[in-house]
Amino acid sequence: MKKFRLTLILVLTFLLLTSACLTQTTQTPVEQAPGETTLVVWDQFYREEESKVIETLNAEFEAAHPGVKIERETKVLADLQMTVKLALGETDGPDVAQVNQGRSDMGALVESGLLLPLDEYVSTYNWGNVFSSSVASRNSFTPDGKTFGQGSLFGVSPTAEVVGVFYNKGIFADHGWSIPTTFEDFEALLAEIKDAGITPISFGSLDGWNAIHEFSAIQHLLVNLDYINNLTYGVNNVSFDTPENQRAAQILSDWAKAGYFSEGFPGIGYDDSNNLFKAGEGAMTITGSWFAPELMTGTDQEFGFFLLPGFSGQPTMAIGGVGVPFAIRKSTEHADLAAEYLDWMISQRAAELWAQAGMVPAMSLPEDSQVDTDNIFGDTLLAWQTINKNNAVGHYIDWATPTFYDTLVSELQKLLGGVTTPADFTAAVEVDYANYLQEKSQ
Amino acid sequence: MKTGRHSYPGENKWKGLFYLLPALLIYLGFTFIPILETFRASFFDWNGFTEARTFIGFKNYINLFSDPLFLKAISNNLVFIIFYSIIPILIGLMLAAILTGQPIPGFGFFRTVFFLPQVISMVVVGVIWRWMFNPVSGPINQFLSLIGLDHWRQAWLGSFEYALPAVGSIGTWVQYGFCMVLFLAGMQRIPTEYYEAASLDGANGIKQFRHITIPGLKSEIGVAMITTMIAALRVFDLIYSTTRGGPGDSTLVTGFLIYRAAILNNRIGYGAAIATVLTIIILALSLLIRRFMAEEKEPA
Repeated sequence: MKKFRLTLILVLTFLLLTSACLTQTTQTPVEQAPGETTLVVWDQFYREEESKVIETLNAEFEAAHPGVKIERETKVLADLQMTVKLALGETDGPDVAQVNQGRSDMGALVESGLLLPLDEYVSTYNWGNVFSSSVASRNSFTPDGKTFGQGSLFGVSPTAEVVGVFYNKGIFADHGWSIPTTFEDFEALLAEIKDAGITPISFGSLDGWNAIHEFSAIQHLLVNLDYINNLTYGVNNVSFDTPENQRAAQILSDWAKAGYFSEGFPGIGYDDSNNLFKAGEGAMTITGSWFAPELMTGTDQEFGFFLLPGFSGQPTMAIGGVGVPFAIRKSTEHADLAAEYLDWMISQRAAELWAQAGMVPAMSLPEDSQVDTDNIFGDTLLAWQTINKNNAVGHYIDWATPTFYDTLVSELQKLLGGVTTPADFTAAVEVDYANYLQEKSQ
Repeated sequence: MKTGRHSYPGENKWKGLFYLLPALLIYLGFTFIPILETFRASFFDWNGFTEARTFIGFKNYINLFSDPLFLKAISNNLVFIIFYSIIPILIGLMLAAILTGQPIPGFGFFRTVFFLPQVISMVVVGVIWRWMFNPVSGPINQFLSLIGLDHWRQAWLGSFEYALPAVGSIGTWVQYGFCMVLFLAGMQRIPTEYYEAASLDGANGIKQFRHITIPGLKSEIGVAMITTMIAALRVFDLIYSTTRGGPGDSTLVTGFLIYRAAILNNRIGYGAAIATVLTIIILALSLLIRRFMAEEKEPA
C-alpha cells in the first residue's frame, strides 16, 4: 500500500504541476511600467531587406511616442494567414496585424466582426490623399463582409505591385532587340528570340499560382477596367466564359505549343524558373515587381522591366495592386494608437525606406527623395506610377471567389498541358464563378 | 500457465489503472478529444475562428460524395497504395532475401543505406526529389541525356502522364527500407533447419523463398501492409512539397483536399467531413487486412 500511496502522490503532484504551469503561462501579466503602452504588431516582412524597413520604422515610432513599446512578431505569409484569424479573436491578440486581402482572409474576418473599420481615421489622417479610390477599394468590404470593394476601409497597404515583363538587357543588346511597344511586336519578338535558340519566356508552372499571372497579364490587355472590377468584386453578374477570356487562353496555349516557355516548364517551380532567368537563361519572364530587388544583387547580368504592351499599342491595364495591408483588431484597447501606427507605415518616410529596399511603395515618394531610380527598381516604379496615373491598375483575379485560386491553377495546368481547349478552360472556370455568385445571392 | 503476480487479499485491484493515468490524459487531450471534435465539426457549417456555427446535419457528407474532386482524390490515394505498399513490400522481400541468403561484405552498411529514406522528414524528401525531377537541371533528365535517351526526358512532376507515378515512386523510395528491415528481423526467427531440410530435399532458392520464407513472414507482411497503406491514404506532406495536387488534379489526394477546405477556404466542417470519411476508410481497410492475415494463418 505504501508504494501505491507514493505513486498516487507522484501522479497527483505531476497533475498539479502541469496545471500550475498551464495557468501560469496564460495568466502571467505583462510587466508594464506605469504609463507604458505595448502595441503588439504581427507582420509578414521576414526577408532581410523588408524586415530592416520595419525595424527602422518601429524604432522611429517608439522614439516619437515616448512610453510606447512595439512588440513585433514576424511570420511568413502562410503561417500568418493560418494563425492570425484565431489570434484576432482573442482579447490579448495582436493590436495590429497584416491581413491578406480577398474573401477568405479579410472578408471572413470582417464578416466575423474581428476587424476595426477605419472610416473615422481616413478623415483624421487624410488617407484619401495617400491612396486612390481604386487602391482603397482593394482593402474595403461592406460591414457584413459579403461585398468586396465597397463599404468601409479595413486596412492600409505600404507596398505596391505590378505584373509585367522582366528582360535580360545583355541578351537584348547582343541581338539588337528593343522593348516592343505593341502586343503584335511582342509576339513577333517571341518568335525571333525562339529562332535565335534562346528561351523567349522563362516560366515554370509546377507551383501553379504564377500561371494565373501569365494568363491574366494577357487577359488584362483584352478586357476593360469595369469588367475586371466586376469580376473580382463579384458584382453586376459578369461571366468568365467570354470571347476575351477565351482569346487570352488561346494566346497562352499557343505560346506553350510554340515552345516560347522554358523546356519542361510544367515540371519547373517558380523559384527555380526565376533562378534560371537570373543566371541568364531566357530573354524575358513575366512576373510581379516584387522580383526586382532579387535581380539587383548576386548576378552579373543586367535586367530591365516593362509593361506588357497593348494591342496596336493602345494604353492598357496591367495586373497590379497593393501589398498585404495592416489592419486593426476590433477589440483592441489602443485603437487610436494603432491607427497612428498604420499612418506611420504609409508615411512618406516609409515610402522612402521601401524604395531604398527596392520595393515599390504604394505611397508617393517625397519630393527630395534620394533613391536611385536609374535601374530596374526605377523601371518598376515607373510602371506602377503609369498604371496608377492612368487608372489602369487591374486585379489578381484569384480573389474573385474563395475557390478561384485552386480552380484557376488546376484549369490553367490542364490548358497548358494541352489536356483542355481554351473553350473548355473558360467554361470550367465559369462553373466555379457562377456557383459562387449563386451562393452569394442566397 | 498463468504468469504474473498474484494480488494480495485486500489489495486494491484498480490501482494499476492509476499508472495509466498520465498517458491516458495525454491520449485523451491530444488524440481522442480532437477526433471527436472533428467528427462533431463535420455536421456544422463553420469557418473555424468564430463561435458561430450552424448545424447542417449530413449536408457536408452529401456534398462530399457529389464532389468530383473528392472522388478523384480517393482514387489517387488508391493508386498510391500500389506505390506505398505493394511495390515496397515486394522490393523489401527481395532485398531481405538477398541480404540474408549468404554473408555479404558490408551487410550492415547496405541495411542502413536502404533504411535511410525512412528517417528523413517527408518535406526534405519532397525538396530533394523536386530537384531530382527538375526537367532542366535535375539529375534524372541529365542522366537520360548522357546515355543518349533524350527523347525520354520529361517534365516529370508537371506531366499529366507521369506526375502520379513520379510522386508515387518517391513513396516507394521512402517505404521499401522499412519493409526490408521488418522482414530481415522476421527472417531471423525462421529456424535454419527448415532451409537445410529443404535443400537436402532438393528445393532450390526460389522454392525455399516461396514455401519457407514467405509463410514465415506472414505477420510481418501484415504489419508492413497496414502501416504502409495507412501512409498511402493519409499522404499530405509529400504532395504539399512537390506538386500541390497538380498538374490539374492529377496528384490531388484526400489529405491535401482537407488542408484546402479547412485551412485555405475556412470550411472546417467540410474538411472535417473529408477527414472523417478518410478515417473510416483507413479503419475499414486495416481491419480487413488483419482479418485476412488471421484467416491465412489458421490452416498452417
